Amino acid sequence: MSTVDTAETQRAAQPPAGGLMRRLNMGTGILAGIVFAFIGHWVATSMISANPDEAPSGVQVASQVHIITMAGWAIGFMAGLGAFAGPLRWVLGNDITHADEMFLAGKDQGVGRYFRFTTDHKVVGIQYLVLTMTMLGVGGTMAMLIRTNLITSNSGFLGPQTYNSLVGLHGLTMILATIIMVTGPFGNFIVPIMIGARDMAFPRLNALSLWLLVAMLPVLYSAAFMGGIPTGWTGYTPLADQGPGGVDAYLMAIILFAISTAVSGMNITTTVLSMRARGMTWNRIPIFVYGVVASVALAIPAFPMFMTAEVLLGVDRGLGGTFYVASGGGQPWLYQNLFWLMGHPEVYVIVLPAIAALMELTAVFARKPLFSFNAAVLSIAGIVGLSVMVWAHHMFTSGWATALNGSFMLTTELISIPTGGLFLVIVGTIWRGRIWTTLPMMSTYAMLWNFIIGGVTGIYLSDVPLDYALHGSMFVTAHFHYTLMGAGLTGAIGALAYWFPKMTGRMLDKTLGFVSFWLVQIGFNVTFLGMFMVGMEGQPRRVVHYDSVFATGNFISTMGAYVIGVGMLVLLYAVVSSWRQGELAPMNPWGAKTLEWTVPNPIPLENFPVMPVVTEDAYGYGKPVVAQPEPEPVPVGANVDSGTGLHGDAVGEEVTRSSSSSADRGTT
Amino acid sequence: MTTSGPPERTRLWSRRETREVFILWAVLTVLLVIFSMTVPDALMGVQASNTMTAVERTFTILSVAASPVAALVWAIALYSLVRWRRNGDWTPADEDGAPIRGNRGAVALWIGGSSALCLFILILGLAALQVASSPSENPRIAPAQARNPLVVDVTGEQWVWTFTYPQADVQTDQLYLPVNRAVVFKVTSDDVIHSFWVVQMGIKVDANPGETTTTQTYPNRIGVYDVRCAELCGLLHADMETTAHVVKQPQFTAWLKANQTRSK
Repeated sequence: MSTVDTAETQRAAQPPAGGLMRRLNMGTGILAGIVFAFIGHWVATSMISANPDEAPSGVQVASQVHIITMAGWAIGFMAGLGAFAGPLRWVLGNDITHADEMFLAGKDQGVGRYFRFTTDHKVVGIQYLVLTMTMLGVGGTMAMLIRTNLITSNSGFLGPQTYNSLVGLHGLTMILATIIMVTGPFGNFIVPIMIGARDMAFPRLNALSLWLLVAMLPVLYSAAFMGGIPTGWTGYTPLADQGPGGVDAYLMAIILFAISTAVSGMNITTTVLSMRARGMTWNRIPIFVYGVVASVALAIPAFPMFMTAEVLLGVDRGLGGTFYVASGGGQPWLYQNLFWLMGHPEVYVIVLPAIAALMELTAVFARKPLFSFNAAVLSIAGIVGLSVMVWAHHMFTSGWATALNGSFMLTTELISIPTGGLFLVIVGTIWRGRIWTTLPMMSTYAMLWNFIIGGVTGIYLSDVPLDYALHGSMFVTAHFHYTLMGAGLTGAIGALAYWFPKMTGRMLDKTLGFVSFWLVQIGFNVTFLGMFMVGMEGQPRRVVHYDSVFATGNFISTMGAYVIGVGMLVLLYAVVSSWRQGELAPMNPWGAKTLEWTVPNPIPLENFPVMPVVTEDAYGYGKPVVAQPEPEPVPVGANVDSGTGLHGDAVGEEVTRSSSSSADRGTT
Repeated sequence: MTTSGPPERTRLWSRRETREVFILWAVLTVLLVIFSMTVPDALMGVQASNTMTAVERTFTILSVAASPVAALVWAIALYSLVRWRRNGDWTPADEDGAPIRGNRGAVALWIGGSSALCLFILILGLAALQVASSPSENPRIAPAQARNPLVVDVTGEQWVWTFTYPQADVQTDQLYLPVNRAVVFKVTSDDVIHSFWVVQMGIKVDANPGETTTTQTYPNRIGVYDVRCAELCGLLHADMETTAHVVKQPQFTAWLKANQTRSK
């Protein structure tokens, strides 16, 4: 429920500035985290050394100490941040007051609210955006180091230990960043406004999901100081069983991430299920919302698998368990199954919201309704359904259940049908449109190019005998970069450029945007076409040096990677400079018809001064073909500008919206 | 709110853009088919076994089958950029595009087409899988040959491959195989997971501790080939490679004999 509703019923006002809760922020969180980490470390070391008779092996001791210390950090950080203030007050019988809720939502606070446990979904969205960009920057820097090492067949730039660790950290950083890159920033900031809600269903859980990720980052990168993650991002056992302390950091980071994803997934799903504006029926919900819900709902069953896999790994490492140790009756294939039960849905967790965002903005920039909304929704649903049944195609060569390879080939190749549906929707929307080639729209075109390549190469890998030849080679690396980066990240950049005016109130610099677009896309294709080349020639993944026959392709890849790097720096500069001093954005710069463009810049705390009532979907471009049977008076229509924005020069086409005559129907 | 142009009822084929996109699609398809028939084979290099021959053939067939699909998407994208691109920025006074909310025919055709293609690659893949997992069913191999394959036990450990010939009691760190004789690899590991990959023969299977996995092929070309590890297995993963020598049967017998004496 919105906080306004409770305003009337609250008891006598609490002192407005009181409470420890109001003094907590990221600084106190870090402080408490460090204190708790030291306490955890002390407890762990003293507890274990108190039992010299039953002293376990050295690896186990180290692992226990690492895990308890890192858990101490995470709990301390969240407590010091004030994440548990709400439940704590509740337990003490002293519920959060309206004034407290307003404080938590960041009302009338300046920049400080971005460094607190703030519940306003718009603040959380911006925090997610900065967090994602930071992680992509870190992961990208690692990619530059990796490519620099591979510039010649035996450059010696990095040693094997460093190289293997970087490969693991790069992979994990990028996977985690791309999982949150659309549903985090845009799912939190845009989706509630898009469906006409005042906030998320569970605002405090929303903040919790974000800050768990912040707590995760030091845990994850502490791996770099504990021997790294020399197992690749997959952390396959038994290599992970024998790995250094960095693997403990890996598994703790995954556990924190999985909790965050579960919380966020339930929150976004509940919000969309129960917080939609009046009239926002399922066939009027914008397609982007479907993409986000599909993504987070898919994450709800997927990530617990990952968490389970890592908990068992923690038991193996810290307590001498043998879940994955063959000599102890365990089974390494168990880890692989749990991992890929998460790992394949996760691919669609990343790609679906990005492509849904591109669908959303393609309709806007083609000035056309989405081509076959039903096909779009069914395609997304079909992909979600199939994606949980394909995991073992990552294990074709593992030797596990080879009799099932044919079945997994079947389910995998079936995905090409709903994926084709996504292409149909975008291509159909472009067809006879009036194409406005802004940066977001260019991203759609880049996706059409990249994702076809990513999809077709995926078909090769789904073919079992071909996978026997190509698995574990650079071909696979190039393939999934084409999907996750070529489609996913391209879509996220498109989404950023599209919603930048609404999120920051300023326009993203056009020239810099185009420069970065071309640098990134050209660099990307050069890099990964080169990688396909060496993969087909037979270069394995994750090798610190390689046979000289692969030299040409690798050199091409490295050059391309540098171009991507420059392009990303340009994009970063464009985002930062436009955010600080870009041209002020009008309320609806693109003439879009979804609800987020009907709220003023900057968006007021609870988004809508008057709750909107939705009368039709957001794709009424051109002749309105979905006409109301009878024109009815609409207080605030879905696509009618409401309120008065700061920059009230928004475009309105409200005249014909709900009064279109039925004579216009039947033109399709 | 007004849209120019002919009424929607006009037949699709009589539209200018349909014909032009069709031509563009046909041209792109031809280019992609040419690419598919030349580039993958060239990159994947020599075919040292009938498995690899099948792999390269499948790669080419899948590429050719995917060509019209990719060409269609790219043709429409390219065409739209040239023909329907707006000059300058959008303004509220501008006309919108045609309000096409779907087209049953197009959707049906698209789904029907992609389902047919999917079925085709599935049947192709299942048939190829059948041959790959039991070379004895490959009509090109003599039944007598297939019934009596050479068995090689492969053991991965950090970071070397060891090959044992149980039929001859020989152990080496380089793979020797006779040409034109079916071979079965029984693969296992002493420590972590490795992946046994004979690159030019197109076979790969993981070496798991405590498990034995199997792969088989039929080397049919004399030469020296690469054996690599395809699963990150620790510090010196990149160095875990050796060579596979495919030689004539008499040479192979001689080599076996020479190594037997040496190991005893």
